[in-house]
Amino acid sequence: MDVIKPYFLLFFFLLGGIVSAQTIDSLTQFKKKILESVEVDILMSYYEQEGIHAAVSGGIGNEYLTNYAPTIVVRMPLNEDAILTADVGISAYTSASSSNGNPFNQSGASNRDEDEETPRGNGSSSGSPKGSPWVASTGASAKDVLTTVNIGYQKASDDRNQYWGVNAGGSIEYDYSSLNFGASFAQLWNEKNTEFSLKGQVYVDRWNPIIPTELHEYELFQETFLYNPDSYFSGVSITDDQGNSVAGYLPGNFTSYVTVKRNSFALSLGLSQILSPKLQGAIFADLVVQKGLLSNPLQRVYFQDRENFYIGNFRSIPQYTSFENIDVFHLADDVERLPSQRLKIPVGGRLNYYISEYLVLRSYARYYSDDWGIQSKTLQFELPIRFNLSWKFTPIYRYYDQTAADYFGPYNTHLSSQEFYTSDYDLSDFSSHQWGASLSYRSVLSQLKIFDFGLKSAQLRAQHYTRSNGLSSFIVSTSFKFVLDQ
Amino acid sequence: MKSINGLFLSLMLMCTVSCTVVKEYNKIAINDEDMLLSAVDCERFETNFQIYREAAAGANGGKTGGGCGCN
Repeated sequence: MDVIKPYFLLFFFLLGGIVSAQTIDSLTQFKKKILESVEVDILMSYYEQEGIHAAVSGGIGNEYLTNYAPTIVVRMPLNEDAILTADVGISAYTSASSSNGNPFNQSGASNRDEDEETPRGNGSSSGSPKGSPWVASTGASAKDVLTTVNIGYQKASDDRNQYWGVNAGGSIEYDYSSLNFGASFAQLWNEKNTEFSLKGQVYVDRWNPIIPTELHEYELFQETFLYNPDSYFSGVSITDDQGNSVAGYLPGNFTSYVTVKRNSFALSLGLSQILSPKLQGAIFADLVVQKGLLSNPLQRVYFQDRENFYIGNFRSIPQYTSFENIDVFHLADDVERLPSQRLKIPVGGRLNYYISEYLVLRSYARYYSDDWGIQSKTLQFELPIRFNLSWKFTPIYRYYDQTAADYFGPYNTHLSSQEFYTSDYDLSDFSSHQWGASLSYRSVLSQLKIFDFGLKSAQLRAQHYTRSNGLSSFIVSTSFKFVLDQ
Repeated sequence: MKSINGLFLSLMLMCTVSCTVVKEYNKIAINDEDMLLSAVDCERFETNFQIYREAAAGANGGKTGGGCGCN
């Protein structure tokens, strides 16, 4: 009995503890849900751009692109403390630049797309092929659809001072697929005046490389690709700068891809602080490491120390870099080559000031640096002006600049002896200005209903973007937030 | 260009300054939806095209929770 007694004491001690804890729990103040009801966001955007530095044709050519992206986001409360989020979207684009993976389709001369596996003979059977970096082709790479799915779970502590989250997702398009997963943690203290957040995200990506037609044929037939009867170039006239028909075109720098993987690891830190009853700010710092195939296999490069070869109307060669050229195309020396590793370090901050009940100033600044030699600065200001409880108008301005990557060179300026090279103007030296506005509506009583969902808010946002190297674009986006009636 | 650099540095410095504690009952302005320290929903599409058209990306995180005094 003496042996059992301590166990009885321990049992009653634990039982007492449980009863005590339940009593305290029942006395805990009312805990509000972190999300009251199911929310559904329906988002859409239309994007259109124009430019003169198409990367697929080596830094010269038509960059016209359109993109339509409908997305739906559903947030669901699982209980008082947890939310499940599902984010599903598609992004459908047409691109003049990408279309010129095989530029000869515009004439109907090409007998196959650049992504077909089996050749069907040369292009001469349906007339002399011609192409131009300024004219969109009808090749398979002219358009594509990116489908994205992401699922997230977030849980809060009882006192709402800790938040944990996990997420996973993926995306797929014809030549690229990606899986991602991550976890996040946030700690609040100082009466919720201060928050520290930590997030880790891993992307496991894979290319299905699509390469320019001339390099694809070279990869298939090697040195015989100009006369092999199964090659596209069999019987096709290739000319030099003077219009002489020649057989010396040999893109010897090109080698097949050994790796098609691209992995990214991102660590994000955030610290936010309420600075006064009307002012709060945050600083963010990311550390991103990318490894694998970081170049785009479809983007051509031309060497200034190699002879030039063309297909099409040689009389248009003198105006090759002008949009007046509609019928001659410069054959690639190689595709872009970039290092297999990249370290990116962006540091940013937000500062928001509540000027009055009618006016708020939102600002954002970022400094970015990476080991490819790019440094950039970003500044953005938004000024929400509230007319009444429902309507709000927000002017927006954003400035951005960057230095060029160490490996960037314009059209036909690289040397074949270089290890890395690209003529992608997204990696060039430029500055950009983006300005626009948004119009927002908030329904206080959610009176407009679709089934059991009431409209909570709606937003229309339009932006115009100009880049110092000739690219301009505009984007229109909308969002409609619906809330399930309780 | 110098003025933009100065403005940029000022903003970054201001973000690091800590002040006194603001009580829950005094967070009416802080809880305004426009005071959120993250991008608005529609901005995701702009961020997406900027990631393609510009070399820089990231450091654009949002606030996970708090500051709302909602519990």
